[in-house]
Amino acid sequence: MDFLHSILVKPFADMASAPDFLIQVLWEGMVSGVLYALIALGFVLIFKSSRIFNFAQGIMVVFAALTLVGLHERGVPALLAVPLTLVVMFFLAVGIERVVLRPLVNQPDIILFMATIGITLFLIGFGETIFGGENKRMITQELGIPTGSYIFEPFGGFVSIEQKDITAVIGAMVLVAGLLLFLNKSKMGRAIRALGDDHQAALSVGISLSTIWVLVWFIAGVIALVTGIAWGARAGVSFALEVIAYKALPVLMLGGLESVMGAIIGGLMIGVLEKLFEIYWGQPLLGGNTEVWFAYMLALLVLLFRPQGLFGEKIIERV
Amino acid sequence: MAQTTMLDTFPKYLLLNAERFGDRPAMRHKDYGIWQTWTWSRQLDEIRAFALGLQALGFSRGDKVAVVGANRPRLYWTFAAVQSLGGVPVPVYADAVAEEMAYVLDHAGVRFAVAQDQEQVDKLLSFRETIPALTDIVYDESRGLRDYPRERLHDFAEVQAAGRAALAADPARGRAWEEGVRAGSGDDVSVMLYTSGTTGRSKGVVLTAAASVKAALDTVRFDGLTEKDSVLAYLPLAWVGDHYLNFAQGYVSGFCMNCPESQQTVAQDMREIGPTFYFAPPRVFESLLTSVTIRMEDAGRFKQWLFRHFIEVARKHGEAILEKRPVPLSGRLAYALGDFMLYGPLKNVLGMSNIRVAYTAGEAIGADLFSFFRSLGINLKQLYGQTEAFLYVTAQKDGQVRADTVGPAAPNVEIRIADNGEVLFRSPGQFSGYYKEDDKTAEVLTEDGFIRTGDAGFFEADGQLKIIDRAKDVGKLKDGSLFAPKYIENMLKFFPNIKEAVAFGDGRDFCAAFINIDLTAVGNWAERNNIAYASYQELAGHPRVYDIIAGHVNEANRRLAQEPMMAGAQVARFLILHKELDADDGELTRTQKVRRSFIADRYGELIEALYDGSTEKYVETEVTFEDGRKGRISATVRIADAAVHGRPARPHAEAAE
Amino acid sequence: MNAHPAIGPALGQPDASDDGIAKGEVLLKVDNVSLSFGGVKAITDISFDVRKGEIRAIIGPNGAGKTSMLNVVNGFYTPQQGTITFRGVERRAMKPHHAVRQGIARTFQNVALFKGMTTLENIMAGRSVHMHRNVFWQMLWHGPALKEEIEHREKVEEIIDFLEIEHIRRTPVGKLPYGLQKRVELGRALAMEPSLLLLDEPMAGMNLEEKEDMSRFIIDVNQQRGTTIALIEHDMGVVMDLSDRVVVLDYGKKIADGPPDEVKNDQAVIDAYLGVAH
Repeated sequence: MDFLHSILVKPFADMASAPDFLIQVLWEGMVSGVLYALIALGFVLIFKSSRIFNFAQGIMVVFAALTLVGLHERGVPALLAVPLTLVVMFFLAVGIERVVLRPLVNQPDIILFMATIGITLFLIGFGETIFGGENKRMITQELGIPTGSYIFEPFGGFVSIEQKDITAVIGAMVLVAGLLLFLNKSKMGRAIRALGDDHQAALSVGISLSTIWVLVWFIAGVIALVTGIAWGARAGVSFALEVIAYKALPVLMLGGLESVMGAIIGGLMIGVLEKLFEIYWGQPLLGGNTEVWFAYMLALLVLLFRPQGLFGEKIIERV
Repeated sequence: MAQTTMLDTFPKYLLLNAERFGDRPAMRHKDYGIWQTWTWSRQLDEIRAFALGLQALGFSRGDKVAVVGANRPRLYWTFAAVQSLGGVPVPVYADAVAEEMAYVLDHAGVRFAVAQDQEQVDKLLSFRETIPALTDIVYDESRGLRDYPRERLHDFAEVQAAGRAALAADPARGRAWEEGVRAGSGDDVSVMLYTSGTTGRSKGVVLTAAASVKAALDTVRFDGLTEKDSVLAYLPLAWVGDHYLNFAQGYVSGFCMNCPESQQTVAQDMREIGPTFYFAPPRVFESLLTSVTIRMEDAGRFKQWLFRHFIEVARKHGEAILEKRPVPLSGRLAYALGDFMLYGPLKNVLGMSNIRVAYTAGEAIGADLFSFFRSLGINLKQLYGQTEAFLYVTAQKDGQVRADTVGPAAPNVEIRIADNGEVLFRSPGQFSGYYKEDDKTAEVLTEDGFIRTGDAGFFEADGQLKIIDRAKDVGKLKDGSLFAPKYIENMLKFFPNIKEAVAFGDGRDFCAAFINIDLTAVGNWAERNNIAYASYQELAGHPRVYDIIAGHVNEANRRLAQEPMMAGAQVARFLILHKELDADDGELTRTQKVRRSFIADRYGELIEALYDGSTEKYVETEVTFEDGRKGRISATVRIADAAVHGRPARPHAEAAE
Repeated sequence: MNAHPAIGPALGQPDASDDGIAKGEVLLKVDNVSLSFGGVKAITDISFDVRKGEIRAIIGPNGAGKTSMLNVVNGFYTPQQGTITFRGVERRAMKPHHAVRQGIARTFQNVALFKGMTTLENIMAGRSVHMHRNVFWQMLWHGPALKEEIEHREKVEEIIDFLEIEHIRRTPVGKLPYGLQKRVELGRALAMEPSLLLLDEPMAGMNLEEKEDMSRFIIDVNQQRGTTIALIEHDMGVVMDLSDRVVVLDYGKKIADGPPDEVKNDQAVIDAYLGVAH
């Protein structure tokens, strides 16, 4: 009885008794959710346009953040370092297309997946060699991101919201909105969607495979940089970030590999749910630290019932 | 000083509408994916230009003009343009084969033909030389026609351009044209409509202007149609229904006609336009219901439950609410919720959200089918009409609607039942005769000026007319029981799985029937039950399909048994035909009515097999493909027995004589 | 039957492709082209030409190298030997999207469409070659970009009207029956306003009625839009009615070339189709 009570009743009673704390928990969950969503978005874009499951998305986050910080350490002003990092990410995209993707055209998916593991290993090695492996501080203030916090006192309680988190959320929203607009309205965006739909057809209407691939990997790079800045501001910049990036995997399972909206909603769901679970069930009942595995369990459960994910596209085909 | 002229021709209404509704839409047509709109004043401009262009081509008063094609603004404009010059438009069914078309054009003595497209022009050209009167052909769509010899072949736009040029050169011609319109007489012939004719050659029904206008005014008033209404003009141009409901009523009331993009987009176009006045033959409502049902069967379980639940609510209260009868508050609330959840969205999908008045006619409609649409809140009514009446003979009043009758006499129509049960009428819009066939005219007219409809019927106690069959088709079985084939066929056709039925029995021992299954409905059933089939023929012969149909026949017999007049003629044996009845093979008319005697001839062996007790019969049948080529199909058709109710079982073969 | 007697260029409606080649002159020239895949010879030393304004058929039994030939012409494959001259310019190794830009559009034997997109979107995709406004204009989404979009939409609507596919404008093409998919694919190729339209077995898998429809569309495209067409067909009957000149391939070699009537009576062609051993 007590056990059931502690699972089914007490957590909700706790939530109701301290609504200010609940708001705080939800907010924290949402901020991580936004970042999960961003990383997942990078995966989805590349998967949609080239059927490649890009294992390197996580490390690209680290690499982008490291490059930014590294450039600043070498005396480049922060606001100049950002465009420079973007240039680096662009050349990375070109390099990947030339060296890895182009020679592997028409190879089985698994080969391309292996290739992205190769890219991961390369980036780890390359990043460590140039920027070193130690933990670095994100250049938050230098980028003009406010670092204070807002205090609210709802229900006579206390909620603190950090300004850099707000910046991260707004930044992510702007990025996603721009991306959606780009994908749906622009010629290039249509080309990306077209390529995802049917390769041969895309080629036959004059879409250049290499151009689109470079573009898509570059977009993934931009997303990586934004994610890197936001996450680095919270947790510092190190290769440990990569592990957090793998949270995108359960997000993808939840949202489906091909759905942009799925990635966003899936990310937010996982962020919020894992935080709620940790605070109200994990810490009192399981001794905490459930955030490490909760998302994966959730994804497994979803897969059991909906193999295409919550928002995945059911493929309609007439044979 | 000019007197106010009598409004007794459609071109006079055109001038009036351009004045009173100048900026209101008169015509819309979806072209290149966009609805193009013409206001009444622009429509006047288009019609005047075409009329003047025709004059430039040498058109003279009394000339007849064939109009061939689908519902296109330009073809409708042709009607008014020709009428404005004192000519007579003769619309022709667009799907008529060249031979049929040649007969009509020749019989009517048309001088010009206005055709929609290359397909129609090709047909016209194939026989132009054989019709001396036919001089010029005008086409609407130039596609594929650019390289045709231009001799006596004109682009509609060019004819209009010539008309506009003439007008620009001499504005007096425009005034003269208007004077001509105002001087037009109500005694002039307004249009000649060729009946599709269940038997023999089609006849040209001559309708005069004043009578036509009068008839249209009556029904426009009856249903309160105004310039704010709109219709989707999708019915065959040559059919009285289209000419009356859309053209005639449109001109006198000033409402807007909307021409669909193509025949296949009618459903989508209807959704976009949302007409307020709508007509469809029962089979259209039937296929709409079938498509809704099919979609529901594919839906999730919750949706299905919701659908069934609210359809039940509608069945209980819908018609009462529509007819403003008292309904308990709980019923009203449930219906309002249903309207929000189901009826509203469903009507929206069907393009029926804005319908104020809808009619069906031409065939009997199943009570369930009829109630289904009414219960959704659609004011669907029945009318009974004829080309010779310029449509309306009877029409149901709002709130006094039944599925099995066609209503009381329409405004200013007199009806009387002859001794042999035939329905006779006299109406304001009635025709002045069949063109060049006085003998036939005399045949249908009584001495006191009533017109024989050829349909048998009687008045119910509430004053509504009930039509049971064609008068000449009603016969008797050997034992003297009344045999009304159409009544039986309709009973069968109310089952969604049965598309067409032909009953036999006059002078026989018992009644038997041919059946056509509905490929959509039965095909869907087959798909759900994993029954593979390659063709109509294969599905039609499937034993399980026979089982289903036998069940339906049994149920129809049960219903027939409940009607004292009809109980004698229950269907004792039936077969499912190996091919679909088709107008191309002459088995149906162009309006999709069964041609009984033709079928009796063509399938004589099968009819004999129905009566000689055999259980199957091998037949070969000639068929016509869409491109006009002929081929043969052969099949062994199974013959099945059906249960008969309330009377001793009969032998399933006629006694040898 | 010669389906279309020589008819002057479209009056009033200019040829969609403005490529500076006069009607009847050579548009595409294939000289001594050979193609092999790792030792397997797909095409051996083939030469032929396509003249502006004609319907040119490439026929042959299965495995004759027809599709390989088409793939060489539109840049999917680069031949090991021989040259291809298009619009008077000899071409080097190239990519399919270059071929598209030069004015070569094609359809595929097994239909390559964007299955998740509607008919309209698919045909619009064919216009992408002709869209000029860059990403930023489009993101701002007004002024010239909008105007351009409307112009393209008009062109696309003309094609929809032409092919009589109004009723499926908003239907995702994956849900359409095969015959209609083929028509949409033709529409997408037409949207590119190509100088040369390559059709890979346009009638494959169709029933008689659909074949007749498709033949009519091909003839209309050729006559009304003035588009030069090279088509591959397996079905001899259809080709003979449609085309002006026919190339016959067998085992990767050219065995005949000429007007349909001539080719039909050629002994080598008859043997090839009857499967006489080599």
